Amino acid sequence: MASISLSNVCLDYPLYGAYDFSLKRRLLGRLIRQPSGTQTIRAVDDVSIAAKAGDRIGLTGPNGSGKSTLLRLIAGVYPPTSGRVTIAGSIMPLLGLNAGANLDFVAADNIGLLLRISGRKPTPAIVDEIWAFTELEERMRHLPLRMFSSGMLMRVLFATATAFPADILLLDEWLSVVDENFSAKAEQRLLKLVQLAAIVIIASHDQGLLRRTCTRIVNLDHGRVVTMTGVGAEPEPAPQPRLQEMRA
Amino acid sequence: MMQANEPLPRLSVLHIFKVYYPDLFGGTLSVIRDICAELKETFSAAILVCSRSDGDGEIVVDDVKVERVHSFGDVLSLPAAPSYPLRLWRRIAEHDLLALHAPFPLADLVFALGFGRNRPLVVHWHADIVSHARLRRWVEPLIRGTLRRAQAIIVSDHVLIDKTPLLQEFADKCCVVPFGVDVDKYAEPLRHRAEVSHDRGRLVLACGRLVPYKGFDVLIRAAVNRDIEVWIVGEGRERARLEELCRELCVEDRVRLLGAVPDGELAKLMCMADVFVLPSVTNAETFGLVQLEAMAAARPIINTRLDTAVPHVARHGIEALTVPPGDHARLGKAIDILLADPERRKRMGEAARRRAIIKYSTYVFRSGIEMAYRQAIAAKTAPRPASSPPAASAGLPGAIRIAAALAWSDMRHRYVRSILGPFWMSIQMAIMVGVLGSVIGHLSNEGTAARLPMLALSLTAWTFLSNVVLDATTALQNSASLIKDRALPPITFLLQCLIRQGLFALHNACVPLLLWLVLTPMDVEGAVAALPGLALFIVCTLGLSIVLGAIATRFRDLKPIIESTLTLAFLSSPIIWTPEMINHGASITRFNPLTHLFAVWRDPLATGEVATTSLVYVLVCVAVLALGSIVTALHLRKAAFWI
Repeated sequence: MASISLSNVCLDYPLYGAYDFSLKRRLLGRLIRQPSGTQTIRAVDDVSIAAKAGDRIGLTGPNGSGKSTLLRLIAGVYPPTSGRVTIAGSIMPLLGLNAGANLDFVAADNIGLLLRISGRKPTPAIVDEIWAFTELEERMRHLPLRMFSSGMLMRVLFATATAFPADILLLDEWLSVVDENFSAKAEQRLLKLVQLAAIVIIASHDQGLLRRTCTRIVNLDHGRVVTMTGVGAEPEPAPQPRLQEMRA
Repeated sequence: MMQANEPLPRLSVLHIFKVYYPDLFGGTLSVIRDICAELKETFSAAILVCSRSDGDGEIVVDDVKVERVHSFGDVLSLPAAPSYPLRLWRRIAEHDLLALHAPFPLADLVFALGFGRNRPLVVHWHADIVSHARLRRWVEPLIRGTLRRAQAIIVSDHVLIDKTPLLQEFADKCCVVPFGVDVDKYAEPLRHRAEVSHDRGRLVLACGRLVPYKGFDVLIRAAVNRDIEVWIVGEGRERARLEELCRELCVEDRVRLLGAVPDGELAKLMCMADVFVLPSVTNAETFGLVQLEAMAAARPIINTRLDTAVPHVARHGIEALTVPPGDHARLGKAIDILLADPERRKRMGEAARRRAIIKYSTYVFRSGIEMAYRQAIAAKTAPRPASSPPAASAGLPGAIRIAAALAWSDMRHRYVRSILGPFWMSIQMAIMVGVLGSVIGHLSNEGTAARLPMLALSLTAWTFLSNVVLDATTALQNSASLIKDRALPPITFLLQCLIRQGLFALHNACVPLLLWLVLTPMDVEGAVAALPGLALFIVCTLGLSIVLGAIATRFRDLKPIIESTLTLAFLSSPIIWTPEMINHGASITRFNPLTHLFAVWRDPLATGEVATTSLVYVLVCVAVLALGSIVTALHLRKAAFWI
């Protein structure tokens, strides 16, 4: 059973300036007793979220409010500074599509490699299915990705990344696929993926989208949870009690 | 049509426990025996246990094949049988279902290592680990792992799930199957008793292994100053102590330790007794199977108020009197009450037999176990939804798999725009070997040709080592998007460096291989002897790349330092020259770890032997690097901040 539980999680993000990457300077600083504390910024501040199967959570907030950092924290990229993160179930982070793609390789090989990176065995049947979804010509399958237009590239990467459902789906912004003809199909697929996943967390600025897809919207600012509202239910007039309950 | 009528082949079950008949008698063993006997129509059973007897091998007990692995004795109540895990691993594949009788941490260890992952597993939870509380902390993660992996956990009573924290975590997997008792075997003796009826009204019976948790000492104390006769059936390591206690309390004339008794005799004894007592003192007594026997024999029971099923099987005031555990005064009083009231004894006895027939019949037991086994097999073999095959990206094996896939694609990338691919580097290497070989030929007066294969091999190995380390210093930054957007563990990319450079080194290795085949007499033995040393070399390279790769990612100015150090190391180590060429005792070669790192595989290749100092030196290096790698790996999660 998939579940996510964050209790009082904080994340201090270290801000490394150019000098902080220098070992020589650090040793020198210690020699002349210059205080050399690295600056940190509290990117996630005392956040408690509990999600069980069936929950769709939208993260919203201004730029730099910690949405992406929170997603990465859940994905296990960043270790929390304090608090506890407990995750049950397999996580599929769809934070960046082109990670791992090699433009020199032909499309079919790239699909195979990307599947392997997500821990799956690329059987011919699976690759065929993915290729069918892209609606690209068969001969393009054996061309290097370098020759693809950006829209075509996006189709291949999107089709590969979303080929398998996962227990927990993390999305940073709704993946927008440029092509007019394709975007309807892509949206349908994403919706299906969201339906199949036990838990979905989407970070987005698009309030309309979040209201359509999510059951709960978490408003973040400076890493803190400002409000947590259920969609469909009455917008809660006093978010504080609910917050308390979530933290308990 | 004929095939349809043929009986289905029996499924085979492997019962896993620490000990079995005839080495010991006891409740858990009789449960295993009953399961085997009850299910023999549908399941063929085999049992794998440890035994201290020398007769290692297979015996047959009650028509069931019992394989016994030699054990050197018990350590902390566990058999010390080093070959048990191996034997278990070999047997797992031969059976359709594994039935683990817990607690047995030795088997948990085998499951923790991932063996038998594709076989359905049912855990019979007999008891928690009560003794050795200290040990418990260490084995609990193992047990939890086994329970997580199991398809079903069978317990004898619901109270065990409520009172055991570990089982509560897996409450959805637990199914309650109460033990059964064969009530029919008491029908004849009971009739017999009714005819004879030599009711003296003072015989108290207890039964169980003579071990501390059974609390027989409490029963013996209760016999003091009471006109009762206490018979205790069973054998065990407490015997001497209990006899001593009887002498001390001057009750040896009234308390008899009967020792082990055959089943038929026990049935007779049960029917002779006036009261049956189960004086157990700790929660290690989870059910008290023997009180079920007494209930089937229509005996009134006295049991103890434990947190287990014991007071629920025979209930206070109906079939039993329940007293606090370890309280001999209250136990004695309960015995007095029952012995003084034959009418009440008869009433309670009849209630007990009725409860045994209704609630604890062998039929309920058999169908419960059979159902659990069948569901476990079905759950394991049920086809997973085709759209979602398991993602195998978890843990170190997943990281290695992904690293290998990435490294393989890196190597293929070299072939994309040229047919020769990485062999270009090999050609470069061949030229270098040629030039260096001729230069060295001028320096030293020995035959140049004979040196060339070793020179080429040393260069290949050095190229491998230095390239792995250099690659590792930038690997994490180059894979930033995979680490941050796909949440792959950073160690993957350090492993990728090793595998990629390993593949390139295999390309390069064709140069020394050709030279070796052409120029020197074949010496396959030396090559085989060099393999362990080569493995140490690769392990050191991996450790070095993990430590330096992580530090160089954190401190960017380290990379140029590493680069220049590698050049220096190349010149100061015996790679293109040999230690014999210069002053043999030169400290620069003696203290340079690279000298020894090369010596551990080069010396066996050349002479068939390796110096002990080199070996010790390298092993120390491996240990230091292993420690460094573990520390680094623990800090590597922070690498996402550095890139």
